[in-house]
Amino acid sequence: MTDTPGLEDLPDDDLLAAELALGLLDADTANAARDRLRIDSAFAHAHARWTAWAAGLAAELGETPPAHIWPAIVARIPANDDQVANARLRRWQGGAVAASLVALVLGITMWQRPAPAPQIVSVVQAPSAPMVAVLSGKAGVVSVNYDPASGRLASVVDGLDTGQRAVELWVIPADGRPRSLGLLPQSRAGWHSAPAAAARALQPGVTLAVSLEPPGGSTTGLPTGPVVLTGKLAQAS
Amino acid sequence: MAKPSDASTNSGFSGGSFSGPSLDQALENVASGDREAFAEVYRRTSVKLLGVCRRILPERQEAEEVLQDIYLTVWRRAGAFDATRGSAMTWLITLARNRAVDRLRASGRRPTDPIEYADHVADPTPDAETQAIALDDAERLTFCLGQIDSTDAGLIRTAFFEGATYTELAERVARPLGTIKSRIRRALISLRECLA
Repeated sequence: MTDTPGLEDLPDDDLLAAELALGLLDADTANAARDRLRIDSAFAHAHARWTAWAAGLAAELGETPPAHIWPAIVARIPANDDQVANARLRRWQGGAVAASLVALVLGITMWQRPAPAPQIVSVVQAPSAPMVAVLSGKAGVVSVNYDPASGRLASVVDGLDTGQRAVELWVIPADGRPRSLGLLPQSRAGWHSAPAAAARALQPGVTLAVSLEPPGGSTTGLPTGPVVLTGKLAQAS
Repeated sequence: MAKPSDASTNSGFSGGSFSGPSLDQALENVASGDREAFAEVYRRTSVKLLGVCRRILPERQEAEEVLQDIYLTVWRRAGAFDATRGSAMTWLITLARNRAVDRLRASGRRPTDPIEYADHVADPTPDAETQAIALDDAERLTFCLGQIDSTDAGLIRTAFFEGATYTELAERVARPLGTIKSRIRRALISLRECLA
């Protein structure tokens, strides 16, 4: 190759993109180049191509992380990412009611008092470690008890003005997609078996929600009516 | 105007040797809070990313700490990944490289040791046999880096893995900034021709 005098000052956007991708530029020049990425799509394209090539420098690299790393990462993530779950909820339901931690604590206390209906007491006393949630909002309170051993989901709906609408319970796991847990009997305690697919998502910390649906429940697989109550599932003991 | 959505921006790591959803898809699912997808991304990429961290931060414990931070960032910021701008693997390697270099700089232990430097640029010797083989992008880069002068290839690797700018490279090879900049630019032009 012939020597090219002054090559270091040759204006060449593609080379600038390469220099940015490889980290060759001093801070000021790099910042100016980064600003261009936002407004100059040809430059951004060149940068994307060089970035992919630069990543190829790692082709021969690799080292297996020790087994404790992944649990350590998971432990640093909230049990249920409120930000994600709530953002999802808001996307579906403009007026989603935020869960109240205070209400949850109060609710668990209430739950631990003698329950009004005999069949609920028997569920609470189930031998496996049950989970509870108190879903609260302006509309009222719904208490939920889930027994993983039997798959039974018990509920008490209290003070919820539903009109002619059905009360449908949902679990919203970390992927943000609600799964129906079925319709709740109104104005009385009751229980039913949790649908198997949704039951898998019933873990401590997961968000539950109640929506008001047409009689018979949502036919779309997602909440169609207003989400009036939300709360989190927690270990009962 | 061309959009950066063509397959050439893929660095060749996300290809079809995996079963199930693509890594790109898995990373997009992480953006919506999918923990299973997050575990899948970790399973597929953590060996590579720890390799990147260790290349930049030789001390094992420090590299592992940065690896954890990187995946927490992946969890929180996966929404910033844009598949039209490049592959998930490129995004992850770039993130890992930048985090590890930031850590290196913050620690004040940035390498300053001299780099072996040959003033004479060796003529490239095209390897016709290898050229005839179809290469994916990562293999092509390895091949093309082998085609350029070894000092130049070393300088490019040092820039990427040690966060060394032109100025710092010039200091470490004890040559004028203009000389180094000109030389690396010439190498990048050769690289571009080979990669095209």
